[in-house]
Amino acid sequence: MSGDEGSSGWQLTESDPGVFTELLKTLGVDLIVDDLYSLDSDALASFQPIHALIFLFKWVANSDERGGGSGQFDTAFPGFFAHQVVNNACATLAVLNALMNIPSLTMGPELSDLKAFTTGMDPQSCGLTITSSDFLRQSHNALSPPSAISLDGLDIPKTSEDAYHFIVYTPVAGSLYELDGLKQYPVKHGSYSEAGEGWVAKAREAIEARIATYPPGAIEFNLMAIHDDALPKLQAELKASQDAGRDLQADQLLVRITEENDKRAKWALESSLRRHNYLGFIHALTLALAKAGKLQPATEKARTVMKERIAKAKKDGKSMEED
Amino acid sequence: MSEPILAFKAGKATRREGTNTVEPSATKGAIILQNEDGLLHFKWKNRESGEVEEDLILFPQDASFTKVSQVTGGRIYVLKFNSSNQRHFDASAARDEEFASQINVLLEDPDRVLVWGESNVASTSAQVIQPTEASSSSAVGTIPPGPASAEQIAHLSEILRNMTAQQTQNRPTVSLRDVLTRENVAPLFTTHPELIPALFPHLPPDLPIPPSPEALQRVVNSPQFQEAVRSFDQALHTGLLGGLVRSLGLPEDAGTGVEPFLRAVQNQAEREGSGSSSSSTNQPHERDQDHMETD
Repeated sequence: MSGDEGSSGWQLTESDPGVFTELLKTLGVDLIVDDLYSLDSDALASFQPIHALIFLFKWVANSDERGGGSGQFDTAFPGFFAHQVVNNACATLAVLNALMNIPSLTMGPELSDLKAFTTGMDPQSCGLTITSSDFLRQSHNALSPPSAISLDGLDIPKTSEDAYHFIVYTPVAGSLYELDGLKQYPVKHGSYSEAGEGWVAKAREAIEARIATYPPGAIEFNLMAIHDDALPKLQAELKASQDAGRDLQADQLLVRITEENDKRAKWALESSLRRHNYLGFIHALTLALAKAGKLQPATEKARTVMKERIAKAKKDGKSMEED
Repeated sequence: MSEPILAFKAGKATRREGTNTVEPSATKGAIILQNEDGLLHFKWKNRESGEVEEDLILFPQDASFTKVSQVTGGRIYVLKFNSSNQRHFDASAARDEEFASQINVLLEDPDRVLVWGESNVASTSAQVIQPTEASSSSAVGTIPPGPASAEQIAHLSEILRNMTAQQTQNRPTVSLRDVLTRENVAPLFTTHPELIPALFPHLPPDLPIPPSPEALQRVVNSPQFQEAVRSFDQALHTGLLGGLVRSLGLPEDAGTGVEPFLRAVQNQAEREGSGSSSSSTNQPHERDQDHMETD
C-alpha cells in the first residue's frame, strides 16, 4: 500500500496523537488529539467537548478483508468530504474531513482558503485539491523523519508498513456522519440528542457496531478524539479552587494539569526526535565507539549475530529481507 | 542499466602460439564495462571497426585482472578466468599495479571490501564515464598516457567494489543496528566520558532537554534513533551513499556498504588519535574539565 504509485511526494506518517496534534498546530487549529482507550462515559467525559472521533485500523496480515460499517450513503451531504486520492496522505485527509466540518473553527489562513476554495466541490475534486496543496503536503511530510537518509528514490523494497484506514465520526447538521475517504459518499447514521453526552453516544453505538463486524483478531485499531485543549480550563479551575480554599479539588486539578503538561513535554520531545536528521549523530557515535576501541569488538559481535540471523532465516525458509 | 559504467582505451595483446611472447596488436580498441541484466560485462570494442569483439561476463572469483610483470616498455594486463582462455589487454596508459591488484582482490573474494586511503579516492568520483568513443573524433591517434586512464582504472575498481557491494546486498554481513545497540553504547558513558561532549553538537537542536549524558542516553534509546539507524543501514546496503558520506568528511567508498563505512570510521579514529589533532575529540588536558562539568 505504501509502495504503490500512490505516494506522489507524500510520506507515510505515524498515527499517534502527538503527531496529529502537531499537524493541527501547523494548520493553525488550537485543538488537541488524544488516544481514547475506551468509549465509556468516564473516558469520554474527561475530553469533552469532543469535536470528532477518529477510528483507525489496519488489517492484520493474512486477514480476510470482511467487515465494515452500516448506515446509508448521503449523496446530499451538506458538509466537507474529500476522497482519499493518495494513500500516504490518509492521515491528513482524515484530519481535514474532521476539521472542515467543525462549525466556527478558528484555523490558519491556508486552511481557511482551502475551505473556501473547495466549497461545493465533489469529493473527488476535493481530494485532488488537498493532495496537490504544497502547504498541506509539506505540513504532512514535516511529521515524518527527514528524507536525507530515507529510502525514497533508491528503489528499496519497502518493509510491509501498511497505511492505516481512517474513518472520521463527526456531527454535521444535526446528524452523526461517518466520513471514510475510501467510500464514495459520507455515511449518515441519523440524528442524536444534544442532552447528556450528546453526539458521542450515537458515535459509540456506530463504532461498537463496526468493531463487531470484524472477525476477532482481524484488525488492529485505535481510537482518537479531537477536542478542545483542556489546559486553560483546568488552570482557571485550579485558580478558582485555590482562591476558594477547596484544597481537595485543587489537588485533583493539579494532578490532571501535571499529567497534561507531562504529556505535552513527551510530545515535544518525540517531535524533536522525530524531525531530526541523525546522519551526523550516527557518524559521531560510531566514531566515539571507535576511539574507545569498542567498534571492532562490537562489529565482530554484530557479524556473528547477522550470520545466525541468516542461518535462521534460511532454516525458516524465508528470503533474506530487511526486517 | 545499459549505459557503460566504465570505458577506457586499450589495445589487445595476444600470446603468440607456442611461445611465451605476448604481442600487442596495433588495433585501437577500448575496454567497456557494462551492466546488463544484473551481470557485469567486460567488453573489448575495436575502435576502428566499431565492433565489439569480446564480450565476457565477470563473476567474482572467476576473473582476475593482473599486470604481466615481465613486460617492459609498456603495461600489459591479463584478464584471467579460472574457467576458460585468458585474455590479454594492453592498457599501457594505465597507471598502477595498485589498482590492478585491488581489482584482483575484489574479483577473487567479493566479501573482502577494501578501504581506500583518501588520497586514492581523491581523484575518483562515482559518476558514469561516457565511452571514450564519444570523445575521440579521429581514428588516428595513440593511446594517451597519463591521469585520464589512471582515473578510469580507478573507476573500474570503484565499479567492481560497487558490484561487490551489490552482490552482498542480498547477503549483508553486518547491520549497523547490531553495532549501535544500547548495550554497546552505554558503557561509553562510564569508560570514556571524555568522548561524550563531541556528541552534543549532533543532538536535535530543538531538543527540550539540555545536552548531557542523560539526554544522549535518551536519544540513543529512542525509537526514532533506532529507526534512523535502521534506515541508514538499509541505505548503506545499496552501496549508493558515496556522495552522502562525503558530507561527513569520509571517503566516498565509505558509502558503499556497512563494512566500508565502519572501516572508514575506524580509520578516522586511528588518524585522529585520542585527542592529538582532531576537531572531533577533546584534548587530553581538557579531561579534568570535562569530568568536572559532568559531575
